[in-house]
Order: sequence, then C-alpha cells, then structure tokens
Amino acid sequence: MPAHLPRDRALSLGATLILGALCLAPGARSDETCMSPYMAKITGQEEYVYVWTLGVEGLGDGSDKLVTVDANPASPNYGKVVHSYSVGGRHEAHHGGFTDDRRHMWLAGLDSSKIFIFEVKSQPSRPQFVKVLDNFAKETGGAVGPHGAYALPGRMLVPCLSNSRDHDGRTALVEYSNEGRYLATHWLPTDADPRGASIDKLADGYGYDARVLPRKNVLLSSSFTGWSNYMMDFGKMAQDPEAMKRFGQTMVLWDFHARKPKQVFHVPGAPLEIRWANGDKHNYAFTATALGSKLWLVYEDDKGQWQAKAVGDIGEPSKMPLPVDISLSADDSTLFVSCFGDGKVRVIDVSNPHQPRLIHEQVIGRQVNMVSQSWDGKRLYFTSSLLANWDKRGDDNEQFIKAYTWNGSALKPQFAVDFKSAKLGRPHHMLFGSSKLYSSEEKAKVTASK
Amino acid sequence: MKLLSPALATASVFIGLTLGPVACGKEGEASVPSRPELALPRSTGFDYVPPEPGTYTLPVIRNAADGNVLDTSGKSASLRHLTQGRITVLSFIYTRCASANACPRATGMLKQVHRLSEQDAALADALRLVTLSFDPVHDTPERMRHYAAWSQTKKAAAEWCFLTTPSQEALAPILTAYDQEVDRRANMNDPLGPYFHPVRVYLIDREGRIRNIYSFGTLDPRLVVTDVRTLLLEEKQRVAENR
Repeated sequence: MPAHLPRDRALSLGATLILGALCLAPGARSDETCMSPYMAKITGQEEYVYVWTLGVEGLGDGSDKLVTVDANPASPNYGKVVHSYSVGGRHEAHHGGFTDDRRHMWLAGLDSSKIFIFEVKSQPSRPQFVKVLDNFAKETGGAVGPHGAYALPGRMLVPCLSNSRDHDGRTALVEYSNEGRYLATHWLPTDADPRGASIDKLADGYGYDARVLPRKNVLLSSSFTGWSNYMMDFGKMAQDPEAMKRFGQTMVLWDFHARKPKQVFHVPGAPLEIRWANGDKHNYAFTATALGSKLWLVYEDDKGQWQAKAVGDIGEPSKMPLPVDISLSADDSTLFVSCFGDGKVRVIDVSNPHQPRLIHEQVIGRQVNMVSQSWDGKRLYFTSSLLANWDKRGDDNEQFIKAYTWNGSALKPQFAVDFKSAKLGRPHHMLFGSSKLYSSEEKAKVTASK
Repeated sequence: MKLLSPALATASVFIGLTLGPVACGKEGEASVPSRPELALPRSTGFDYVPPEPGTYTLPVIRNAADGNVLDTSGKSASLRHLTQGRITVLSFIYTRCASANACPRATGMLKQVHRLSEQDAALADALRLVTLSFDPVHDTPERMRHYAAWSQTKKAAAEWCFLTTPSQEALAPILTAYDQEVDRRANMNDPLGPYFHPVRVYLIDREGRIRNIYSFGTLDPRLVVTDVRTLLLEEKQRVAENR
C-alpha cells in the first residue's frame, strides 16, 4: 500500500456552472446518500438544505438555530437563507435526523443533551418547532451528548458521546419512539462488560455514529470522545496528554434486531462517520479516523466473517488533515472526505473498496467539516463548524455553507452563505428537504393559507 | 423492480380465511417443528440468521389505539378488541396499492406468517393477524372480503381479520394514533396507486401494547415470528415469577 493515495487527475478549479433543469424521477430514490435506509425518499432536486447551527455569543441573537437555505436552482431565492428559527441558548448544536416518515426533524445538542423536534411536512420552507426533549440524562440512565438522530421504523436511534457520571467517553445508543417517548438504552461494550461481544484488542465503550445495514441485520457504531474533551478548548486539550488518550479506538458490530454487540474491532485514531455501501451485495462500510488520517473498511469476507482493516491514508497523516466527515455516492464508486485540518475535500475512487484511489482534492475553505451530496451525485454541500471550542481562530474561523456541482473530475462552486456576515453562527449538520415528498393536498392547504 | 397491477399484486400474495364472529379466521391443529420459520431460506433482502427468541427484549412503544372498524360482513367492531387477548400483527394497507415494496410486500409477509402458523399450533393459538385498509371509499367490506378470499387455507392456522372503516372520519383518528402517515399522490391515477405511505406493520402484545414496528427492510417473517415467540417466553416468565 503506498504511503498516500496516488492521484489520477490534476486539480481543476473550474468556473461557476449554472445548474440545468430539475430532474424529476418518480419512484423510491433517496436524496442525500447518508440517510437512514428506513426513511421516506426525496425524488429529484432537493429544494432546501436545513442547517443546524451553533450560536455564537455576540453574533446576532447568539442562539443555536435551524437555518433553511433555498437549494432549488429554479427558485428566485436560490442560495439564500429563507428561514431561521432560534431555539434559545447554546446547546452545542451538532447533528440531527428525520423520522422515517420524514415529517419531523430531531436536532440534538451535545452540551445540554436537549433534542429539539421540528415539523417539516406542513411547510418545508419553514420548519415549525414542536417540542424539546429535555430530560435525556435521567430518562436514559446517564447517557449524555446525543450525537444526532437516526430513523428506524417508527422510532429514533440516538447514538451518544458521553455519560453523566464522569463525562468521559463511556456511552450508549438510545431509542425513542417517534413521538418522543423513551424506549431503551444500549450501553456500548467495555472490557469489564463486553455484553457477549468478541473483542479484537480492547472495548472502550465509546460511541459516535451508528448505522444499520438491514439486509444483514447488522448495526455498526464508531467512537469519538466524551464531554470532558469535546467541550474543552482544542488547544488546551491538545496539550494535555491524559486528555489525548481519551479518544475512541473501536467500532462495534451489533446484531441489530436483538440490539446485541457481536464484535468489537480495534480501529485506533477516532473512527467517526460510517457509511454503508448501497449495492445489494456490497456488504461493507467505510469510516475515516480523524486522528489517524486513515480510511478504514469494515466488510464481510468470503467466509461470512466481519473484518476491519485500514485501506489507505487520507492526505499526509503527519500533517494532521483531520478527516471528519465522509459521503459515499449512491453507486458506491466515489467517497468524498472532508478534512477539517487543511480545509480540503479529498475525492476517492472506491469502486474497489479494498484499493481506494485518490482522484481529486480541492480546498473548500480554511476549515471544513460536514459534506452532504445529492443522490445523483451531482451536487455537494459543505459546512465549516466542527465544535464551538475546536473551530479555528481568527481569520481561519470561516463559517459557511458552500454548494458545488461535481462533474466527475472537479467541484464547481454554485453558491455560498457566510454565516458570520449573516449573523447566524456556526453551521454544522445539513439535511435535505423537498415539498415533493408530501401530498398535493398539503401543498394546496399551505397555498390557501397564505 | 417490475410493477404489478393492483389485481396481480393482490393475487400474488393470498389464501382465504373462514368467517367467525368478527369475520376472522379460525385456529389450531397439532403442529410439527419447533421453529418452522427457520426453514425459510435466507434471501438477498434478509441475509442473516435470526436471533434466538427470548435473547432480547421488546420495549413497550405505546398502547395500541381503539377505533371503529368494519369486518368483511360489514359488522362494526372495536379495533381494541381485535388487538388484545392474542399477540397481534397489524398491517395497514390499501388494496389498490401496486408498489411492490409496500402493501403487497406487507401482506405477503403476513401470508408467510400465516402459513408458518399452520405448522405450529401454539403459534396459531397465540397469534392474530389483522389487515386494515386506510382506503375506506374503495376498500368496502365487500372489497375486503374479496381481498381476504385469497388467504383461505385448508389447514388450521392463526386468525386473520380483514378490516376497513366506515368512513374517513372513522379512519383518521386511527391513523393518527398509530402514527401511520398516508398521503395522496398528485396523480390519483398513478399506476402505483393513489396513495403513498411509509410501510408500517405493528406487533401488539396480548395487553394491547405495541412492542415493535416493522417497515421496508424489516418485513422478514422469520423476525416477526421470532418476536412473537419472544413475547410468549416473556409471558411464561411473568407467570413463573408471579407464582
């Protein structure tokens, strides 16, 4: 394996490309490719990008907020903020997700452990706040730091980052009904309590992301760090050897239906986002390790056993590019990896998942975090904020959403919103919305009420 | 996946049922294997071995709601009455649905569970299947009687009730209580059917509490029957603890 992935093409920073006509395709096709497999689907062009945004003291109202950006090229408001709802206070807004019927959006705060629920069906351009779940630690038996929400049939899976006892990384997966009723807590396995799982090397009990592959009845979870680290100033933490030891080194494969951990893989360097391949016979998933700067593959081998292995470096690990988010194309051929450290996106050909090849890299900004792509792979969106206390300082602290088209060889900018100039805050997680998900009757009701 | 016409979609999945007091099927003969569901082959969509019953728990999600429903003879009934007393698998469908991964798939799964109950008297005794239409205008009791005719079997099996509602007004609170979204397509003559909806099938215990919800990706009859057995083991344990 080479020290870094070979490049096939030169970088190309093309001119702005105006998007063509909408492509409407009936039938069950997904939108952005990292959504839960149980969710209702968007057909065609996404109309909105919902951005869960951290408030910044002294900037605008200083509050965490849900920002709606118009993403429809045919709209006169294309590329503009069309709605914003402040939830009051700063909760370390981080990730969220839709319910399986796509009526509601759950948005979580890593610090307060509150989950804000919005209704999006009635007016997709203006999500309506419904309620907040504000008793998370007590209800769950001590899990804190809800890291987003993942749709299951009729319920939500909330992977967490920490616990209320010592605020370290020991944590759990939690389930709620779609109505917000607490259902169950599943603690990650540890060395002291493996819960029946086989352990490669160690079981740290840490969590981060959790994704299901329904046809194999498996769930895969990854690991990050606890509240005491993610709420600490990054510079201070980086100088603290004890703090730097407290990062996840594991991924856990679960029997999804029984919610039982089966295997704990040793994946050092904080494996973060997980993306299962989409193909019917593609029994594998990718993750990137933020501190290790490696691309990892978790796969079912030809004996039906699950394995985990590093398949390549992301950038020069010694330069700490910090890969933080990944997005896999619908045809499983291309992986976009956003790197917070150098602000670049690296585009990797993963047609052969065991032998990935770098095909393009491009600077998005001075810092970049989340990446979301459309199902057809033609449009990508990036946001900038990682964590309030970890974002860069000074001029490097750009805060944006940027939209691009991807033509197979280069990313061409379409629009950008400066969240600092707009006095909105630090943009983080993105979710797509479309009025076409919902019935013509609902749209007629909305039109009539205007 | 090739789309089926509504008639073909429904024709592909059913055997009939015998009428009873609420027009449900009848139950119980001596059975053979302990877990006949394990004889069902793995498939691309369900490529795993199901967990052992009783090795996991099924939390209570919420109480199953009541509602005014009609059986295939047009007789009025309480939905709650039909979701208590036995372990119930409740599926919301409409017969005009031609989306292969939606209602036909759900009903096909119930059919497989029904067939499995032919081989297991204890399962047949404990289980009730309920198919409830959310299209009361088209899915009249007569229409549901036709739909149910395909589910007839020559062997004793679990009860299987086919229901509709007298009106949209009677249906609406049921859908709300079960959190079952139903939307009209812009084109009501769409070949897939006039409605689109998330597929939801509910597992309800004898006390009328929803214990699991299945959808596209989890409509595996082996898992559903495993869950039923898990609830039966839970009941047994409760009885033992109360002695």
